[in-house]
Amino acid sequence: MSTSLDKVRNIGISAHIDSGKTTLTERILYYTQRIHAIHEVRGKDGVGAKMDSMELERERGITICSAATYCSWKDYAINIIDTPGHVDFTIEVERALRVLDGAVLILCSVGGVQSQSITVNRQMTRYNVPRIAFINKCDRTGANPGRVTAQLREKLQLNAIAIQLPIGLEADMEGIIDLVTMKAVYFDGDNGDVIREEEIPAALKEEADIAREEMLDAVSMFSDELMEAVLEGTPTVEMIRDAIRIGTLKLELTPVMVGSAYKNKGVQLLLNAVGDYLPCPTDVKNIALDLDNKEAEVQVSNQPGDPLVALAFKLEDGRYGQLTYVRTYQGTIKKGETIVNTRTGKKVKVGRLVRMHSDEMEEIDESGSGDIVALFGIDCASGDTFTDGKINYSMSSMHIPAPVISLAVTPVDNKAQGNMSKALNRFTKEDPTFKTFMDEETGETIISGMGELHLDVYIERMKREYGAELKVGAPQVAYRETITQRAEFNYTHKKQTGGSGQYGRVAGFLEPFEGEYEFVDAIVGGTIPREFISACDKGFQKSMPKGALTEAPITGVRVTINDGASHAVDSSDVAFQLAAIGAFREGYLKASPVLMEPIMKVSAEGPTEFQGAIMGSLNQRRGMIIGTSEEGNYTVVDAEVPLSEMFGYSTILRSLTQGKAEFTMEFSVYRQVPKAVAETVIQERLKLKKK
Amino acid sequence: MQKDDLIAKNPLRIFAQDGAGKEITQRMGLVMARAGLGKTAILVQIALDNILRGRQVLHVSVGASLEKTKVWYDDILQDIAEGAKLERPQEIRDAVMRNRLIMTFKEAEFTRPKLEERLNDLVYQNVLRPACVVVDGFDFAGAGREAVADIRELMTVMDLQFWFSAVIHREDNRVSAAGVPAPCHEVDDLFDTVMLVNPVTDSPSLSLDVIKDATGCVKPGKALTLDPSTYLVKKA
Repeated sequence: MSTSLDKVRNIGISAHIDSGKTTLTERILYYTQRIHAIHEVRGKDGVGAKMDSMELERERGITICSAATYCSWKDYAINIIDTPGHVDFTIEVERALRVLDGAVLILCSVGGVQSQSITVNRQMTRYNVPRIAFINKCDRTGANPGRVTAQLREKLQLNAIAIQLPIGLEADMEGIIDLVTMKAVYFDGDNGDVIREEEIPAALKEEADIAREEMLDAVSMFSDELMEAVLEGTPTVEMIRDAIRIGTLKLELTPVMVGSAYKNKGVQLLLNAVGDYLPCPTDVKNIALDLDNKEAEVQVSNQPGDPLVALAFKLEDGRYGQLTYVRTYQGTIKKGETIVNTRTGKKVKVGRLVRMHSDEMEEIDESGSGDIVALFGIDCASGDTFTDGKINYSMSSMHIPAPVISLAVTPVDNKAQGNMSKALNRFTKEDPTFKTFMDEETGETIISGMGELHLDVYIERMKREYGAELKVGAPQVAYRETITQRAEFNYTHKKQTGGSGQYGRVAGFLEPFEGEYEFVDAIVGGTIPREFISACDKGFQKSMPKGALTEAPITGVRVTINDGASHAVDSSDVAFQLAAIGAFREGYLKASPVLMEPIMKVSAEGPTEFQGAIMGSLNQRRGMIIGTSEEGNYTVVDAEVPLSEMFGYSTILRSLTQGKAEFTMEFSVYRQVPKAVAETVIQERLKLKKK
Repeated sequence: MQKDDLIAKNPLRIFAQDGAGKEITQRMGLVMARAGLGKTAILVQIALDNILRGRQVLHVSVGASLEKTKVWYDDILQDIAEGAKLERPQEIRDAVMRNRLIMTFKEAEFTRPKLEERLNDLVYQNVLRPACVVVDGFDFAGAGREAVADIRELMTVMDLQFWFSAVIHREDNRVSAAGVPAPCHEVDDLFDTVMLVNPVTDSPSLSLDVIKDATGCVKPGKALTLDPSTYLVKKA
């Protein structure tokens, strides 16, 4: 990329479902002349928005895979990643945020800060991503950008400062007042291409003056020069922009803009703000781990001349073959050169290098530091780091949540079997939260992920993209087992009849533990010889994947061994492993094992009149209502509900609230299943096993 | 220490029974203090005392977020668990989760009809049957006597205990005959119990003075103390 690094912006667009992010991205592509016509997300022309390139995304009107695209605005080169709005696809959002330098947080001017905005904001905070807030849909009935700005402060604890005001709202929205330049901006022409600047209408002048004063008060905290100029009454546009930029980059200020992407209002000003206020790659401190130096943290340089460090953050297997999206943190990737995957140590040759524009691409010869491009035919997993071999760095690992739901998929014939394998191979490489394994007893293929919709989408993709016809089982909750009290064991494994004998005695106790598993060696006097201690540990660990209640994995156990016995001839590694397995079995049942289930944090929101119905429906699902927040005619009910009770809830909620309420959920914690429910689950598992 | 010891040793138990040992079910209680002296912490402890005694609590937060209110409970429970060396703190946390519900309202939106509707919803949907409602952040200065009298009536109708918090402003010296400062000086007759948080001269601790109690549980003048670092209530 020929653009200098200070003119590069790697940005993400994140928001709650239906806040209009795909529409906004579509407008950005139009105004930056990457596309020459506007198509709506659910448009009558049947073309669908550009960024929703997968058929399924177009059909459902939500974005599933984050398509990366490149555009240029004025003298800025902008890489945009359009990210999904549903919590089930959070890993996509998280991966995007990991490689981006800044983000635009879109909010609906009617819905305001909704549950997913809170999740996305939390993720942005985790990755220190500076952001601009864009209050979209100001043309909608009930639009209230002032209320949304207040919510940004209250609910997201952001120092949100309006730098624009709308000229009119709902159907009367005409344009935008820019509080930095103190001009009224109108968007003329069929697609809002022609920008007309005017004086602020007299009726709004006082409101604009007050809002500007408020903005200057907040912004001048980041610049002494501006503060002095404000006191003297001489602040310039440049001073204000510089101060907003400083505050935004420090994550201490969130400039708030307004507009309506659908009505073509405000998008060009947002693009200006991306250049003015969001960071360039050199503004952001990125850390790599030096694998040759005990994983010491090293700050990457962003210099194109330095050794290469690039992160593969997304894999896609589209019609052009396997595509690997990479972000370069330092150095340059050149076509034809060899790069090294630091996880596997494998060298790979860069065949084709492309800049992606949704599902179209542009061949390039090299990609400099700070850029986001795609490579062809590179075998790697999402999250792998590439270098040129001169250094051995790995970009810090990403937080990956464990799957909470699984279901069995059975291909209908041999052809479908082959296609399903290909699809699963690709999906598991692309999405670390999507896992698959074969159930040894039933021979079924089990897929697991972060929610019903998550698995639903992959099943649909297997059918549509790979032609894999499948029979799909009912969703199963990923139960776990744990113990609730200390229990002793003293087990002897003895086989001394015929052939070489086996002998090992292991004694000690199991007790509840806050982590997953811990082994404590408290043997004194060598009752178990040192060389067999690790065999005991191995035996106990082998017992953990299958609990005695439902064969669910066991977690939260500390095993302490404090006594035992061995035989000079018949004791061996195998004998002590088997003794430990026996000892665990003996102790486990005495330690009052219980079943644990995933509890989801559910946030349901809808009109206040349905608050009682929403609470009742969650309560009936063994939900624990944490609280409710009322604002105007809208209410949010927060609850913790077992995942097993949430299947099909969206249909129930819709019918209870005339389709006016929606909910999101994400995994919160594993908690003990109530006894009566556990009995049922155990009986059902037993029945299944007998079948 | 176990849950039962915690209940027995809780200094706030003094408000549970009247002089004859009869359980108090209805009460309009008020905790007053200057900003930052622990009103919310006291309300949370009153709520926790009720929950530990097996009563359900609705915590109404006017103007504060749900998350912020939840954090108050988490922090105070943590302090109690550490201070009392609780054997099974998770058991208490679970009890709190099951028996407490937080409702947040914008200032202008909290009214008796709305609260009554929500309380009826909770009972009808079998979500919660509160015996105690704590209201934090109620705007006494703007609300007027009628609004407070309305809530007192609701207390009788629904057989509840209400506990409110109110902020005292240093510059406002108005006081009722019973010694209740502004902004509650004109509605003090609508409250059965009024407590005031006062800094103790030459000491970092705070005193929780009972300046009015019409239920017969406590003699006016009795004081509890507050740990200034944790805001936990202690016996004086």
